[in-house]
Amino acid sequence: MKQFLATGLGTLMLLVATMVPAAEVNVFAAASLTESLRQIATRYELRSGDKLVLNFGASSTLARQIEAGAPADIFFSADEARMDTLEKKGLMDAATRKSRLGNALVVVVAADSKLEIRSAHDLTNASIHRIALADPKAVPAGIYAKSWLALQKLWPAVAPKVVPTENVRGALAGVESGNVEAGVVYKTDADISKKVKIAYEVPLTDAPRITYPMALVKDSKQPAAAKLFLRHLASDEAGQVFKRFGFILLE
Amino acid sequence: MTAAEWQIVWFTTWVSALSTAMILPFGLALAWALARRNWPGKSLVETLVSLPLVLPPVAMGLILLKLFGRRGPIGAFLHDRLDFDVIFTWHAVLLALGVMSFPLLVRSARVAFEEVNPRLEQIARTLGASRWRVFFSITVPLAGRGIVAGMVLAFARALGEFGATIMVAGNIPGKTSTLSLAIFQDVQLGEDSHAFRLLGVSVVLAFAAVWISELLLRRRKTAP
Amino acid sequence: MNLLLKNISLPLARFKLEVDLVIRSRVTILFGPSGAGKTSLLDLIAGLRRADSAFIQLDDRVLTDTAKRFSVPTHQRGIGYVPQDLALFPHLSVRQNLRYGLKSGAATNPLFRFDHIVDVLAIQPLLPRGVADLSGGEKQRVALARALLASPRLLLLDEPLASLDAPLKARIIPYLVRIRDEFRIPMLCVTHDRLEALSLADEIVVLADGRVLQTGPPLDVFNRPANAAVAQFAGVETLHLGRITHRHEGLATVNLHGATLTAVVPETATPEVFVCIRGEDVILQREGAAVSSVRNRLSARIVSLRLEGALVRVELDAGFPLFALITRPACTELGLREGEPITALIKAPAIHLIPH
Repeated sequence: MKQFLATGLGTLMLLVATMVPAAEVNVFAAASLTESLRQIATRYELRSGDKLVLNFGASSTLARQIEAGAPADIFFSADEARMDTLEKKGLMDAATRKSRLGNALVVVVAADSKLEIRSAHDLTNASIHRIALADPKAVPAGIYAKSWLALQKLWPAVAPKVVPTENVRGALAGVESGNVEAGVVYKTDADISKKVKIAYEVPLTDAPRITYPMALVKDSKQPAAAKLFLRHLASDEAGQVFKRFGFILLE
Repeated sequence: MTAAEWQIVWFTTWVSALSTAMILPFGLALAWALARRNWPGKSLVETLVSLPLVLPPVAMGLILLKLFGRRGPIGAFLHDRLDFDVIFTWHAVLLALGVMSFPLLVRSARVAFEEVNPRLEQIARTLGASRWRVFFSITVPLAGRGIVAGMVLAFARALGEFGATIMVAGNIPGKTSTLSLAIFQDVQLGEDSHAFRLLGVSVVLAFAAVWISELLLRRRKTAP
Repeated sequence: MNLLLKNISLPLARFKLEVDLVIRSRVTILFGPSGAGKTSLLDLIAGLRRADSAFIQLDDRVLTDTAKRFSVPTHQRGIGYVPQDLALFPHLSVRQNLRYGLKSGAATNPLFRFDHIVDVLAIQPLLPRGVADLSGGEKQRVALARALLASPRLLLLDEPLASLDAPLKARIIPYLVRIRDEFRIPMLCVTHDRLEALSLADEIVVLADGRVLQTGPPLDVFNRPANAAVAQFAGVETLHLGRITHRHEGLATVNLHGATLTAVVPETATPEVFVCIRGEDVILQREGAAVSSVRNRLSARIVSLRLEGALVRVELDAGFPLFALITRPACTELGLREGEPITALIKAPAIHLIPH
């Protein structure tokens, strides 16, 4: 009986989905969400019939684009500050804002590197010439990293070694290519790449709290479909996917 | 203008000048060979020289990144044998500027050399001048205007280079930050007024470069 | 001097330059139509070109030996070159041009001293000037002086007088003569001008289609061309194909487009012959049968009159095109007009027959 109901409901939903015209939802998301969000989106598209256009990049760059009028429906940022900026400018629907994900920082080195990093202080060693960070002036990943090092009173010593990259994946690529000795990225990024290994995991107590707010853009052309997807992103199902990729589930 | 901004201007100017000076000997030699000689594979060389002109600058930057990165063929050699790093240092800026402006210099100089009557060079040889003497006393002076034009073009291109530079040098404040990279970052950060100040300096620099070249060219015309 | 040009083989646009020659005279003229390979030969001697095969030796010094892959570089050959376009360096003053080839130590031979050569070629007032606004003759003298100041052992000149008008030519020739006599530098000149050739040459080498057709003193070449090709541009004005119809006592009767001529039988007799008549040998006479030794009296009509310096070239139709060269006063006195009838007189010995 339950099964019959479930199948019946499913079929009905499919029928409804095919009758309603498919919506195109533009999602502007932080670069660190690339793999996880793609997986979630693929499954969602099959089920809902809506099309999801994913635009990944540094949250700061995406925020600028939204400010400039880029056609985004959802903004999924890597820190609260970028979302705050847009909300202050009246560009976001504050009622839809939720922060469900967290992350941790790690120091990575190339997979074949012999460097040992046991503490934040090791980053000041002479054997480390260059450290890749997402641009600490603008990009959340870099801002978090700078914040962490500043808390350890190590930022002035480390700053001259910093190679700022456009987004956190750029820092990851820098370590992969061997052009820098170490990089500070999210734990979830390190897990994705086979060419780097984690040399040091920043204790959550040493670093600032990393959270990922997501919200509906006020000028969205597809608010209904976007809200549906936002609800899905907050669901348990999506949460499991994020957890599998190493994100921290908040609450 | 802050001290940091002046540093960017100064850095951009001298690294552009240095890159132009560094590509000059090889560029002139290659331009002369292309103008006066034929050899199997000449068209391949011509194509390679033109690549930085035709490829998107970021694509060129990617090629340089792969070649000169620590795991790349040239970069590994430099790092392991000479303890010398290119990527993410000012050497990378020099490399990017040099490579991107090289074809402009070679093309201008080649045309200039082609316009020098080869008979003049031949007669100079019959008067007892070695090939080097002919090159410096006859060919170069007569090709002078074209060579100067080529150098100015190369310098201006270096001043404005962005795509390849950001790939291989990043935008490290105080170390590899050029005018173009700084303007880009300012716009990214929403610091538009800052960007406009730097833009103003870029215009002044470009203006100065062209004006000096006009002066030089005018003086050559009224020579001896 | 002794210049050996042996086994020279150089492919050119339309033919191969093939030369095997020894040049000993003080002044040798390379004579021939344009495109005959004359300039290419000069370039080879100066080392400006490479040949497929060549052996070039000047006096006791081998300059080129392709068999041994040996070639002295141009700037060490000591061979001066004055090209047809003179190639004065436009970015240098006259003085700087002249000094370009001067060797560091002062010339031991006083003849080659800067002041002397400037004096000989009378270019003192030109020294500070730029090259661009010199006249044709001035440029010529500067180019000559520049080549001389490099103390060459051999001087190559490519059409040295080609771009000059007749009076100017006449004024430059004495300078060349002085170079020949006073400086005693052997010269190899390319020209197609008979006046230059006759004034300067000790020997003429006729070159056509890449081959040497004849060598010898100028009068020999001009008066006794070895074959039709030489005759054609060695300045024989009238050249046609005729038939010997009758032979008697060493004289031949030649049929030339219906006209009948009496000439001396050539050594090799063929039924068809080239008939060569130099313009200078044609006398023009108004009607009136005067008794003279002339065997050939032809009725002709004047087709055209053309001034050539002090002479007039008269084109006649005597049943065949016939050219006469007479003086301007003579032309005026006879009152020659185009279209008028006239009698042409040609001595039998002056009709040169070349076997075909």
